[in-house]
Amino acid sequence: MSLFTRNALIALLITVAIIGTVLYAVNFLNQQRVAELRSIEDQLATDTLSIETQFALLEEAPCEDIAAGTISQEVGGVGDKLAYAEERAGANDPEVLRLKERYTLLQIRDYLLTKRLSETCGVNPVVALYFYSNVPGECEECDRAGYALSYLRQTYPALRVYSFDYHLDLAALRTFISVLKVHDGEFPAFVIQGKPSYGFTSLEDLEKAFPKSLFATSTTKASQ
Amino acid sequence: MNLEILAYPFIFAAIYFEAFFLVTLLSAPAVASRKRTASTNTPMVAMIVPCYNEEQTVSGTAESLLALDYPKDKLRIVLVDDGSTDGTASIMDSFAHHENVTVIHQKNQGKHVALNAGIAAAEDAELIGCLDADSFVDASALREMIGGFDDGRVAASTAAMSVHTPRTILERMQNAEYIMGIACRHILAAVNGIYVTPGPFSLYRRDVVVELGGFRNGHNTEDMEMALRIQKAGYAIESAPLARVFTKTPRTVPALVKQRTRWTTGFLRNMLNEYRDMVGNPQYGALGLLVLPLGFLAILGGIMMFFLVIYQLISQGIQMLMITSGVPVAYTLSTMVPTFANASWFYLPVSIFALLGFVALAGSILFMVVGKNISKTPAQLSVGVIAYMLVYGLIAPFWLLFSVADVATDNRRAWK
Repeated sequence: MSLFTRNALIALLITVAIIGTVLYAVNFLNQQRVAELRSIEDQLATDTLSIETQFALLEEAPCEDIAAGTISQEVGGVGDKLAYAEERAGANDPEVLRLKERYTLLQIRDYLLTKRLSETCGVNPVVALYFYSNVPGECEECDRAGYALSYLRQTYPALRVYSFDYHLDLAALRTFISVLKVHDGEFPAFVIQGKPSYGFTSLEDLEKAFPKSLFATSTTKASQ
Repeated sequence: MNLEILAYPFIFAAIYFEAFFLVTLLSAPAVASRKRTASTNTPMVAMIVPCYNEEQTVSGTAESLLALDYPKDKLRIVLVDDGSTDGTASIMDSFAHHENVTVIHQKNQGKHVALNAGIAAAEDAELIGCLDADSFVDASALREMIGGFDDGRVAASTAAMSVHTPRTILERMQNAEYIMGIACRHILAAVNGIYVTPGPFSLYRRDVVVELGGFRNGHNTEDMEMALRIQKAGYAIESAPLARVFTKTPRTVPALVKQRTRWTTGFLRNMLNEYRDMVGNPQYGALGLLVLPLGFLAILGGIMMFFLVIYQLISQGIQMLMITSGVPVAYTLSTMVPTFANASWFYLPVSIFALLGFVALAGSILFMVVGKNISKTPAQLSVGVIAYMLVYGLIAPFWLLFSVADVATDNRRAWK
């Protein structure tokens, strides 16, 4: 075998090994991302239990003893992480889907508790429910709407935003959607202060759907 | 469709080429070549300097030849003025008083004609060296190259080129690239895969050059054409990594693009015409099966990657503008700046494309370091390497595009 042939074959093996290593490394990192999400599962379970406990306590304890913020800081960023992992590992990754379902459940529970606090204790946080669709072509404006809501949430900490994948196969979400009477096929959909609205045109228009008190009394992060 | 997929074959080829280089660098012939010491043989050598309007540098070139560590009675220096219109001719004449210097004046007919005139005037030379009039040889360069001719199959040898006193970013970038070229030629010589004997300084067996009919215009790349003709005739081309030569390089981007367009156009025209049969031909070993096909692939890949990056930048830019429209710019900017608060390995933008690109780039840097070490070139590489990584990819697509366009439209550009 000539030197050229021998070196060409060895080079091919090295190239395949390098590409294999890169593929493994990228896959490993994606798996680590999912594992990171999995590690939040315990926190999700704790938060869910905490909310249920607060529900029970609400029957007996005075309002001032109930904490208004229920979702912990660790879980707070899970939405962003889920979105990123979904992009990397794929929307159909079973682990991502499972965590998405749990996170959705937690958000519903948190919303219900917030609503109960509002009714029972007169606490009045501004709440926005946001329904998006990942089905290609079904929601051209969802990226814009999501970005605008992120801006509002960052700028006005008093605003509570809950995001839901409309087509997530979860019985509780289906019931939640039917209770709220959110129509299918019209995305993005919002329920702001209990009132459903559909479509997104601009941040300005979206802001009109919120009570003026949000903008008047909130301490904006931008000004801090 | 993810357009990144289109780039994968080119990245694969780049990594494969680098892996081949690495394996060959460590193979016995390359190791033996690095161990070779400067020759004590002193065959008759004629150094030919073809020159057209090089009044700024020709004096330094001639001085460096006179300072070569070689017996004066075995070294003839032939300065050929190819009808210069500046002060080159009189500067050349000022060297005529040296016993071993011959000055030839001819009307402007091109570099290849000037080289042939020099060869004709050096009938007693066994070896002929061709040195551009903007290049300066190290005193030991000739002795370093002569050892390669101990093998009777060797018809030519290339030197270790780097940039003469690089100062600007552009010069330092080219210096890093040239130094990488030293490693590449050294490695390719081990499998006889060299396809160009660079003009700044190459040494030839005179009888082979005469046998092959002397230099030709070679689509304005006479050095490449001669190397291909030597390879086609069944001879070998050596490389002497310690034969240092320092050359002037373009100092502006347009000048660099013009020079490289000439080189690339020359490659394409030689390959598509006279030497088409060498591409993919197993008879020519590494040159036919690997080096020449990858030359084409590099041109195609460079152009495709350029358009791919432009497309991605534009499409992502438009998408970002659409998503962020209406939201205060200050907020958008704040989300773009990474902070310790949101820094996390979780969001590392690691992809197959990015990692493979990193491997290919790391390979290039490795060969720059290898080139510097094996040639012992006194160069500060760091700025050049950074410039190469950041700037080269922005400029190279232009000369690749111009070259392809020139070949497609049969546009012939002037040398200077």
